[in-house]
Amino acid sequence: MIRTLFYNPTGFFTLLNREISRFMKVYIQTLMAPLLSNLLFLGVFGGMLKTREVGIEGIGYLQFLVPGLAAMGAIFAAFQNPSFSIIAQKYQDTLRDINSYPLTTFEKVLAFVLGGTFRGFLIGTLTYIATIWFVGYRIENPTVFFIMLALISFIFSSLGVIAGLFLENFERMNFILAIILTPMAYFGGVFFEISKLPDFLSGAGYLNPLFPMINLLRYGYLGVYEGNLLIQLIFVPFVAVAAFGTAYYFFNKGVGLKD
Amino acid sequence: MLEIKNVSKQYKKGAIDALKDISFTVKKGEFVALLGQNGAGKSTLINILAGNVKKSKGTVKIGGIDLDKNELDTKKKVGVVHQEISFDYVFSVDEVLRNQSGYFGLKDNNGYINELLETLSLTDKKNDSSRSLSGGMKRRLLIAKALVHRPDLLILDEPTAGVDIGLRHQLYDFLNELHKKGTTIILTTHYLEEAEKLCDRVIVIDQGKIVVDENKKVLMKNLGAETLLEFDFSKDIEIKDIAFLADFNPRFEGKRRLQLKVLQNEIGVVFQKMADADLSFSGFNLEPKKLENIYLQIVNGKAA
Repeated sequence: MIRTLFYNPTGFFTLLNREISRFMKVYIQTLMAPLLSNLLFLGVFGGMLKTREVGIEGIGYLQFLVPGLAAMGAIFAAFQNPSFSIIAQKYQDTLRDINSYPLTTFEKVLAFVLGGTFRGFLIGTLTYIATIWFVGYRIENPTVFFIMLALISFIFSSLGVIAGLFLENFERMNFILAIILTPMAYFGGVFFEISKLPDFLSGAGYLNPLFPMINLLRYGYLGVYEGNLLIQLIFVPFVAVAAFGTAYYFFNKGVGLKD
Repeated sequence: MLEIKNVSKQYKKGAIDALKDISFTVKKGEFVALLGQNGAGKSTLINILAGNVKKSKGTVKIGGIDLDKNELDTKKKVGVVHQEISFDYVFSVDEVLRNQSGYFGLKDNNGYINELLETLSLTDKKNDSSRSLSGGMKRRLLIAKALVHRPDLLILDEPTAGVDIGLRHQLYDFLNELHKKGTTIILTTHYLEEAEKLCDRVIVIDQGKIVVDENKKVLMKNLGAETLLEFDFSKDIEIKDIAFLADFNPRFEGKRRLQLKVLQNEIGVVFQKMADADLSFSGFNLEPKKLENIYLQIVNGKAA
């Protein structure tokens, strides 16, 4: 059983290292750009709306915004890393090489997913660090905050692997980012509380799978939450396992990899 | 080293089989040319060995290990040089090779990487981006990449396609050296002179089937006996002057050049007959059959 999962640890770490060093080599585009974008959001929205009431005593809008931006940065970065890597390898005609490596499917998928998870986690953490100057460094539940950041990154990195396998070009990947992920993030509670939305939008917001992720991250950061915490604490790890399992299934099937 | 038994591949239900029940073995240390026209099934076979395509039927054993039972162990034994030049362009030459070593489970392989870079004249480019290399250097890097884990079986899929003649001959020397050191090599190529120069066995695939599997020398001896014999004359000659050569498919090129197709053992007979008829010539040329002609004979269905 162990051999079915882990056959070649050196190969696994090499692939993981490649996935990380690939984005680290172009850190201006992969780390600095999203960080700057998050800080702009913080500057524009936070600056304009800093007196806005979020309905929680002692918490200003800027603080409310930090976990939302960290989550959004992590989601996009984690999704883009494996999907970009796989699609780029399709363009370079190097993706088929992966079939000839003596690595198990589990090792390959885990390396891609952890590469993306690391990038997402890094963006989320850097966003938090960059906002310390504006709102201070205090995190209410650091363990919950960083575990949630890692789980969110893991989920979207797994989804990025699936997207990379199915999508043939970068335009389609951008389409998914722009038409699916961005609206979901905006309506998942990045910039405002779901409960403050009009009734019909609020109901839809609670069904948005991104809501519990952002909400739990905010819970870790601020110690406050919306909705049922227990259900959300069960839901997020469940989605993480399901997303990874699905990525594994399609990778093992050879979708986008084998003729 | 390689045992292929009753292997078939059908890409889609109802489609024509890309490979039809093919079987052959390759012994350790052999250098085999795998020939065939585009779409004959060569790439399908190579992709099965490389893990890119799943066979529909049959068994494949590499180094005695069954591909179906222990695919990961078989992968360590194979190195593939694909036809298309492709790298992770964000990495340097050295990083490409170190990554490749790592994928095959080798932690510290720098010594051998340096040796390969030296052999393939890439040492100076070690820290350059793989993107910046010339076409010939990229081709050499591809070969280094396939060899970095010291595979027992090296598969080269048209490794010299689009490569200039100088580099091609460098690669021939390199492959000859590898062969001498005991590496088993399978080469697919459209340059028949390459197969003729390097390989000791020829397998021809046509429409998914093996139509020839023969030692190169035996093949050339059996099929290559027909030689083109060309005579130049200092005066005009006519068909009646060479009536005694009618059995040798005479063909005129102008009025002073005659071409004959003769079997190897009939060359002496031709000269004797010409001497008997007192037919003198000013020059002659003898063009022995090349593997290329033999190959064309085979794929055109003229092989005996």
